[in-house]
Amino acid sequence: MERIHFSRKQLCIPYGLFLALFVIIPMLLILFYAFTKEVNGSLSFSFSNFIGFFTSRAKLSTLLMSITIAIISTALCLLIAYPVAYILARSSFRKKNVLLMIFILPMWINFVLRITALRELLDLIGLLESQNYLNTLIGMVYDFLPFMILPLYTTLEKIDKSYLEAAADLGGNKFTVFTKVTFPLSMPGVISGITMVFMPSMTNYVVSDTLSNFNITILGKLIDEYFTTYDNWHMGSMISIILLLIIFLTMLATGGFKDNEKEARGTNLW
Amino acid sequence: MKRILSVLAALLITVPLILSLAACSSESKKQVLRVYNWEDYISTSKSGDEEESEDDSVPDLIAEFEKEYGVTVEYSTFGTNENMYNELKINAAGYDLVCPSDYMIMKMINEDMVEPFSQEFIQNGTYSKYASPLIKELFEENGWTQFAAAYMWGTMGFVYNPAYVDAEDLSSWAGIWDSKYAKKSTIKDSVRDSYFLGVAYVYRDELNSLASEYSAGNLDSTEYKSALETIMNRTDEETRSRVKDALLELKPNLYGFEVDSGKQDMITGKITINFAWSGDAVYAMDEAEDSETGNPVYLNYAIPKECTNIWFDGWVMPKGANTELAEKFIDFLSRPENAVANMNYIGYTSAVGGDAVFDEMVDWYDESADPENRGFDEAGNALQKYDLNYFFQGTGDYDDYIIYVSEENLNRQIYAQYPSASESDNVILRSAIMKNFTNEETAAVNEMWEEVKGLPIPVWAYIVIAVIAAGIIIIALSYVYKGKRKSAKPKKGYHRVPTK
Repeated sequence: MERIHFSRKQLCIPYGLFLALFVIIPMLLILFYAFTKEVNGSLSFSFSNFIGFFTSRAKLSTLLMSITIAIISTALCLLIAYPVAYILARSSFRKKNVLLMIFILPMWINFVLRITALRELLDLIGLLESQNYLNTLIGMVYDFLPFMILPLYTTLEKIDKSYLEAAADLGGNKFTVFTKVTFPLSMPGVISGITMVFMPSMTNYVVSDTLSNFNITILGKLIDEYFTTYDNWHMGSMISIILLLIIFLTMLATGGFKDNEKEARGTNLW
Repeated sequence: MKRILSVLAALLITVPLILSLAACSSESKKQVLRVYNWEDYISTSKSGDEEESEDDSVPDLIAEFEKEYGVTVEYSTFGTNENMYNELKINAAGYDLVCPSDYMIMKMINEDMVEPFSQEFIQNGTYSKYASPLIKELFEENGWTQFAAAYMWGTMGFVYNPAYVDAEDLSSWAGIWDSKYAKKSTIKDSVRDSYFLGVAYVYRDELNSLASEYSAGNLDSTEYKSALETIMNRTDEETRSRVKDALLELKPNLYGFEVDSGKQDMITGKITINFAWSGDAVYAMDEAEDSETGNPVYLNYAIPKECTNIWFDGWVMPKGANTELAEKFIDFLSRPENAVANMNYIGYTSAVGGDAVFDEMVDWYDESADPENRGFDEAGNALQKYDLNYFFQGTGDYDDYIIYVSEENLNRQIYAQYPSASESDNVILRSAIMKNFTNEETAAVNEMWEEVKGLPIPVWAYIVIAVIAAGIIIIALSYVYKGKRKSAKPKKGYHRVPTK
């Protein structure tokens, strides 16, 4: 009987098909829609959506709002997650796994349910009706904190302890050891944590809608509106492309850091 | 590699063929009616996975229709008019019967997307027999009779909690602009509805003076109605910017915008005023009164004096539809007993009258102690007359369609279900259809709404952005500076090892 033998190339076919069907073709479609407009029922090439985006006060302020919310929630996530990840990485083995699980646990509960529950909680505290921005930030941090903790934890845990000992031996106090050794070595984790939190918090409009009673509009919401109620797929696609560009630029900027830490890259979880 | 490709190609060709063959063999037996409707918008146990579906008392109208006519109904649902429209554009011949809202029906008629009804249906169908004279007249005036058959209809107004809100304040749309109700009211997160509210607020003086002109006898009802409709359908630049300012002024006074949470927030007491469609108002009032939820809360419904939006959803047949079967389905749904089943299930008001519907309304709302001699409560006190002749007259055999309710119930469910048309409070007279805007108007109104939703940007947001931008520039500069110094002045004792 002849043995069935797959070459490496053939093993890639399923993923290749998946990629083509669900990534490349949709991307091309979005590009097509973004740079066309409908005139009397026929499509024509046009930059009008691009120009339209950057001349519309509403869209620019939505962009500004999204970026602000994303920056603040990323910063908050980092501030909260770093100490936690640091302590987790330094603690003794048995406690560690339980602790880590507690932080990951919320991720196993359905996200919409979590946010709806948070809305009731905020109502109970009395924040819901007045603190739209604060609520949205709380929701974003609540939602994305595990995505910050995990990469930080994995990089911090993999740092060779002998580096820290060497730094201490050479006369560095705890603060110097942290700023000169631990933090620079954990940079890949910080970067991937930031990318994991920054991008989704620009678009996660379930959080902003639910917790701000629809008072705050972010880019994700705008895209949704253009596809469902405004019935303008061209502008919706253009906003998606612009969002993609912003994400790409962030990647490019943060990628610069990563290249300096080539040997640490392997510890990058994501 | 080549072989795999050819196998794949063969598969790609044969699979659809087999599928279509399979589809053909089952279709050839029975006629198929493809219905495209709003979610949860028909009494059925088929599409829903909710508790009600297991309840035997809920009639499954789709199954009954299939049984009676020996056909198969393919029933699918949509969430917004625009989604439905796009689906029809992509899959033009995919449906026999769809149920869009008023303005979308106008758009579809304008774009020649719908089939006209047969003369038989228009003149002798069950729908034509039972449809309310109010709806028929509305359709006749606007020239929709040939193309559309109304399904559900209603008004827009405020649901409010009379324990916290003075009914007098809500006799005007301006009521929710009042700082007295700060953070206690919601409006819809929907362009058209909120635009209507804004227009009504901006032109409230004009609308009021129009009403007094009418009551002074300077205008007849047709002139009054058409003037009202013209005002409420303004989309010029001045109107848009005034509406935008008005809504931006309203925004901080609101609890927020809502899509579906308004009903629940009214019941739990988070808010005390909710700008709502009449059908949702009925639902909210029913739920709040339900003693199972704890202590019952009695909510009221108010339709401001200036005007209201009369809206409807109706059936149209897209081009290429199986019109014969589609008409049968509309007629089937228009039987009063089926209309009752739908009203029970959906909670909105059917466009169909008939004695069976009226009897059900008497059963729901009439408070007379003696069904034979209506008009008096148990203590023998006279009840208020609520005249529904404007809606039911001519659709059944009764001479008079009047429901007797107590004073406090006058502003509750019945008012939302069938607004009053009495001399003192003629809602029907002051109601306007919100027409379909042209594409340019729609885009401009959407842009206005986006600004309302996206503004204002708080000052701290600018500060955060400025600080971050400054930070990035400083870091970038320091890198550039460091890099330059490093290459210019290598430290003593270090010798760079040239890399390959």
